[in-house]
Amino acid sequence: MMTILKTWNFLSENQLQTVNFRQRKESLVQDLVLLCEENRASLNDAALLDIIYTQFHRHQKVWDVFQMSKGPGEDTDLFDMEQFKSSFKKILKRALKNVTVSFRDAEENAVWIRIAWGTQYGKPNQYKPAYVVYYSQTPYAFTSSSQLKSNLPLLGQALTIASKHHQIVKMDLRSRYLDSLKAIVFKQYNQTFETHNSTTPLQERSLGLDINMDSRIIHENKTEKERVQRVTQEIFGDYPQPRLEFAQYKLETKFKSDLNGGILAEREEPLRCLVKFSSPHLLEALKSLAPAGIADAPLSPLLTCIPNKGMNYFKIRDK
Amino acid sequence: MELANTLSQDGESRGGVLAHLERLETQVSRSRKKMEEPQSAQAEESALGTRIHELRRLRDKLRAEVKQHQASVKASTTNVEPDQTLEITEQESLKRKRENVKAILQAYRFTGISGKLTSRGVCVCISTAFEGNLLDSYFVDLVMRKPLQIHHHSIPVFIPLEEISAKYLQTNIQHFLFTLCEYLNAYSGRKYQADRLQSDFEAFLAGPLQRNSLCNLLSFTYKAEPEGQFFPFCARLLYKDLTTTLPTDVTVTYQGTDALSTTQEEQRAAHEDLFFTKPLHQVFTSFARKGDKLDMSLVS
Repeated sequence: MMTILKTWNFLSENQLQTVNFRQRKESLVQDLVLLCEENRASLNDAALLDIIYTQFHRHQKVWDVFQMSKGPGEDTDLFDMEQFKSSFKKILKRALKNVTVSFRDAEENAVWIRIAWGTQYGKPNQYKPAYVVYYSQTPYAFTSSSQLKSNLPLLGQALTIASKHHQIVKMDLRSRYLDSLKAIVFKQYNQTFETHNSTTPLQERSLGLDINMDSRIIHENKTEKERVQRVTQEIFGDYPQPRLEFAQYKLETKFKSDLNGGILAEREEPLRCLVKFSSPHLLEALKSLAPAGIADAPLSPLLTCIPNKGMNYFKIRDK
Repeated sequence: MELANTLSQDGESRGGVLAHLERLETQVSRSRKKMEEPQSAQAEESALGTRIHELRRLRDKLRAEVKQHQASVKASTTNVEPDQTLEITEQESLKRKRENVKAILQAYRFTGISGKLTSRGVCVCISTAFEGNLLDSYFVDLVMRKPLQIHHHSIPVFIPLEEISAKYLQTNIQHFLFTLCEYLNAYSGRKYQADRLQSDFEAFLAGPLQRNSLCNLLSFTYKAEPEGQFFPFCARLLYKDLTTTLPTDVTVTYQGTDALSTTQEEQRAAHEDLFFTKPLHQVFTSFARKGDKLDMSLVS
């Protein structure tokens, strides 16, 4: 909490020192509120604190990814952050009078936007804000999944126009781990390159399996295990995988069965079902499936294409 | 002797003389022999003496041969060591040659574009630099296939890689790499200037430097002298050409509430020129050095 308050930089060092951070939550909150009132905190200050908190605890939100596109042959993008911010705010306010928009610059080229939505007659709900993270001169925007889905088209429009794009599309990619989403869409996850300067030989591969193997079984299926390792390494690479929690496959395919007969075999309509893979770290788990002997190598391309295609929601239909 | 025998058949007296003669004869032959013996002994002696000499000579000769042989063996063993050291130095020189080649390959990155063959193609390294400072390196891992593909890369997402690949990757790979090199070097250079302004000349800026991902739009409020609390100028630099490190558009406006005096107008115009012609951080270096007086000679 101290780090967040220090980053906020609204309460002075002296003021913070007067607070006892070990007391009960309610009393602590009261003390802090008193100090904020002393400094005459405004809605903007509070919104800023909210952004900082979310930045520190970004995993508490689930993030969606939107992709924007420009028309062909556009001039060089001279992105002006101030222009973007004012344009974005103006578009939202023009459409919806009751809305609170706050900005906080992050890194060198990114901005975090907090939007508290109201309605035509109702004040903005400050307890259910939406967040947008945008990196300038890129076609991607990350938004926290908001419960208020009706405002999504307006948000998309504001983003598109303010960043001088033409279209916006929601990607089938969702995760709590914002940095992993960023790595996937910016293609920053595979960053090992062969150079003459690298000293570590690329052929080194630690077969962590060996520890778990029974020491009496030495040569059993050694060639097969090596093949599995090689195939896994070719597909997943040597780099740490971006972190996702699930992959979801919506199947709308006709039922296929080896057995002749059966009730479902003659069904003309496609069978609808949903297959969901969950894991604290899905891609690492998939990577370890074949070496652990649970699945055949190579894995199905439906599983291995996830970072490449930037998707973890799939709809599978018969061709 | 036959005479002696015939004589003995004649009579005893004759035997006496003949025997006497016989005896004298044998005496003579004995004495002759005796006289001859020392001669033969001498001869034998001298023969033995010569033999001894011969043997001695032979012995000395053999001794000398043995010594020579030993010496030559020693000499040959000492000749063997130089051969071994020759081997070692050959090894060392090979090792040195190999390390030399490796170092040259590593040093190739200083040329700006270098590469290493991979199992599927080549990994190209573009090392950017500005004003003699080596900056970030970017990689493009190419798969040698028809059509040529980029396996993965570390080019930032705001560099128009797709555009450049669409134009040149399949038709003219040299042009592809050179164009990419141009864009990346220019980006690195602009970024370097913006970073230096932010870090080294914070005191001259009022508030943070406004920038974007490509560092092709910079906006800041500044003063031209180290002292003073007033930041009279606001500059806006646009780099419409992404392959350059100097701006294409410069606007310097005066921030003060009072009317713009002629000196201030001169300053403003001079600053605009400076920003057009000199890298950003160098302009501020000149501000820091000159203090109040702006050296008009800086304006080329």
